[in-house]
Amino acid sequence: MKLRCERDTMLEALSLAARASSGRSAPTALGGVRLQLQGDKLGVTGTDQDLTIATTVAVAGSGDGTVVAPGRLLTDIVRALPAGAVSVQGDEEELHVSAGRAEFVLRPYRVADFPHLPAPAQSAVSLPTAGLAEALRQVVRAASSEDSRPVLTGVLLAAEPDGLRLVATDSYRLAVKELHDAAGVLPEGQRVLVPSRALAELQRLLAGGTVAVEMRLGPRDLVFSVGEVQLTTRLIEGEFPPYQQLIPFNYPNKLVVAREAFLDGIRRVRLVARDATTPVRISLRGDSIELNVVTVDWGQATEQLDAKYEGAEMTIAFNPQYLADGVEAIPGDEVVLETLDSLKPATLKPTGAADYLYLLMPVRVS
Amino acid sequence: MSSNRPRVVLHVDMNAFFASVEVKERPWLAGRPVLVGGTGRRGVVASASYEARTCGARSAMPMGQARRLCPQAVVLPGNFELYHSYSRRLHEVLARFSPLVEAVGLDEAYLDVSGAGGLFGPPEAMAASVRQQVRAELGLDCSVGAGPNKLVAKLASKAAKPRACRGRLLAGPGIVVVAEAEVLDFLRPLPVASLWGVGPAGAARLARLGVTSVRQVAALSPGALEAALGRVAGKLLHELAWGRDPRPVQPGRPAKSVGREETYAYDLVSADEMRLRVARMADAVASRVRRSGQAFRTVTLKVRYADFTTVTRSHTFPAPQVSGPVLAGQAEALLGGLGPAGGVRLLGVSASGLVPAQACPGHQLELGLALPGQSRAEAAWARVSAAVDQVRARFGDEAVAPGSALARAAPRTGKGSAPAREG
Repeated sequence: MKLRCERDTMLEALSLAARASSGRSAPTALGGVRLQLQGDKLGVTGTDQDLTIATTVAVAGSGDGTVVAPGRLLTDIVRALPAGAVSVQGDEEELHVSAGRAEFVLRPYRVADFPHLPAPAQSAVSLPTAGLAEALRQVVRAASSEDSRPVLTGVLLAAEPDGLRLVATDSYRLAVKELHDAAGVLPEGQRVLVPSRALAELQRLLAGGTVAVEMRLGPRDLVFSVGEVQLTTRLIEGEFPPYQQLIPFNYPNKLVVAREAFLDGIRRVRLVARDATTPVRISLRGDSIELNVVTVDWGQATEQLDAKYEGAEMTIAFNPQYLADGVEAIPGDEVVLETLDSLKPATLKPTGAADYLYLLMPVRVS
Repeated sequence: MSSNRPRVVLHVDMNAFFASVEVKERPWLAGRPVLVGGTGRRGVVASASYEARTCGARSAMPMGQARRLCPQAVVLPGNFELYHSYSRRLHEVLARFSPLVEAVGLDEAYLDVSGAGGLFGPPEAMAASVRQQVRAELGLDCSVGAGPNKLVAKLASKAAKPRACRGRLLAGPGIVVVAEAEVLDFLRPLPVASLWGVGPAGAARLARLGVTSVRQVAALSPGALEAALGRVAGKLLHELAWGRDPRPVQPGRPAKSVGREETYAYDLVSADEMRLRVARMADAVASRVRRSGQAFRTVTLKVRYADFTTVTRSHTFPAPQVSGPVLAGQAEALLGGLGPAGGVRLLGVSASGLVPAQACPGHQLELGLALPGQSRAEAAWARVSAAVDQVRARFGDEAVAPGSALARAAPRTGKGSAPAREG
């Protein structure tokens, strides 16, 4: 294998693929990035077997071949090389990387040790890019990062009659988004559970701008194609817990507050909460609300905000991070917070649209 | 508080507290030797009345030995609810004398009364009114020591106590006041082990140097002490031997830990039995922590084997906890690979890092998700814990226990619950 290309082109492809390779593991092929040269096209693939990211870049090739290089190391090297052309040349024994007068000789992994990757399903469907990016932003945050409950580390994609529904919960909060212009993306009645980590990567890919997104559903995996990048993720096996009955039908108490002011207030008062478990209390009464954080070690913080509140006087406490996550996920200038009482789930949603809901359990305080 | 005013610390120590409370509650015991403590084969005396002490019994002694010395003694298992309530009343009295009251255990307290001189007269007068009011309101005797710091006050209250000597009871003065100028004369004749921080190991090391009294410690250079005991301990001991103790009276400082230990009549030989005991103690400890309006951050497990090898392990949670199952689960996790080896004679579970429950960051509630194999244990346990506490408040600690602690009746163990020793 022998090629030349611009350093930045190479770096972009490598850092993308390396996001999927398992970085911390001992030097095994799983920590590797596969470079596959065919003509003037270089395929760069990283995988940890759950998530695979593959991309293709145009290079000046002069000898086809495949090499599996230590992913993170190669990325670091290419990043450190002087700007300009980079030459890469190698086989299973040695990989030479050079630019200017710098040259590295790396020991590649065996190509045969690189995981075998399944071929993607044939039938592809297109997704509405902008709507998908926003939906991922709103939902992925509610998924759990605890591997002890694998089902909750996923985002449920469910085909609904009027579109695609995305749901995630870590058992403390639950986010539900209806993507109306994505009807027919999944066969009717189909539900798949996609690791939130993969969707977070997809979200990053979409952040660049509006490109076409295609999706292919296989029996055990799901493939997203975004431009030249292909992201393949294993699906989570298991049943997503029933969630609909958790969402209260109506609430006696309703707060409407400016989103930015609310978010800024939460971020300010939570500064005294030096650990993740100190709650922020919200006192709801009349036309102002008060945010309050009290700690033994660091003191306390209070902030009043103008708001519209209808309902019983009450104080309810939340994990400040979960609350901020919810408020931040709401589109528009205003946020609606609806509550039953201080121990029952509360709901955050936008004032206008009814396509997003963030259900949040309070913190019980003494 | 002005710093040029001489510092005056009182140390108030109840006399034979648990035993005296028992006598107060059962007047027919008056005049009889009373032992409170574990009644099993390996029980330990937690408190001995002065009548029992004249026979040679004393606290921390194995109960069997105390009974042999004092066969006519009335042996009681102890009623900690009752002692707690007396302790609360004691502190109500003490609070009138100073806002700076530091509780030590149930039956001891330091009072910084440096600022109260004008109000209650000189230390002698103040100590006398403390004793008189405690006597009037609790019906119990205490000893009061006064000195320029906590070390001296504590040693003074000890000197004020009644003593059993050669089968006879010598009434103590009740009050001993050591003025600043008398401190060195007061300390020098005392044995070195009376200094705070000198345990049996330290005393033995000093004895090898021929040092047994405070006078001899004071005569040693700090360097020599540091060589014998290590830098920190050596420096500290030198200061104490010269009557200098900078520790402040820390008001309102609640119990630093709540714990329970059991010494077994027969060594435990199975890991299951160990787990059982630990679960039961952990649950009781959590209950006591909640009753005191506190939450804990650290769980400590203590295992003493038949050969007296002692293993202590602890875990600190990132946030304060209140629930029994959390404590029990952690204690069991600490037990981990510790097997019964050659037999376990003592197990202990304690909770420390106590903070007011209001400072408890609260409990993040969970959505009622029905996850296979996943219980909504925590939220449910909080409700169970509250109910358990109500039952215990009415019917006592033993009225309700986790099933895991009852799984097997204990055929071979004594009821050797060893409460904290009193002085």
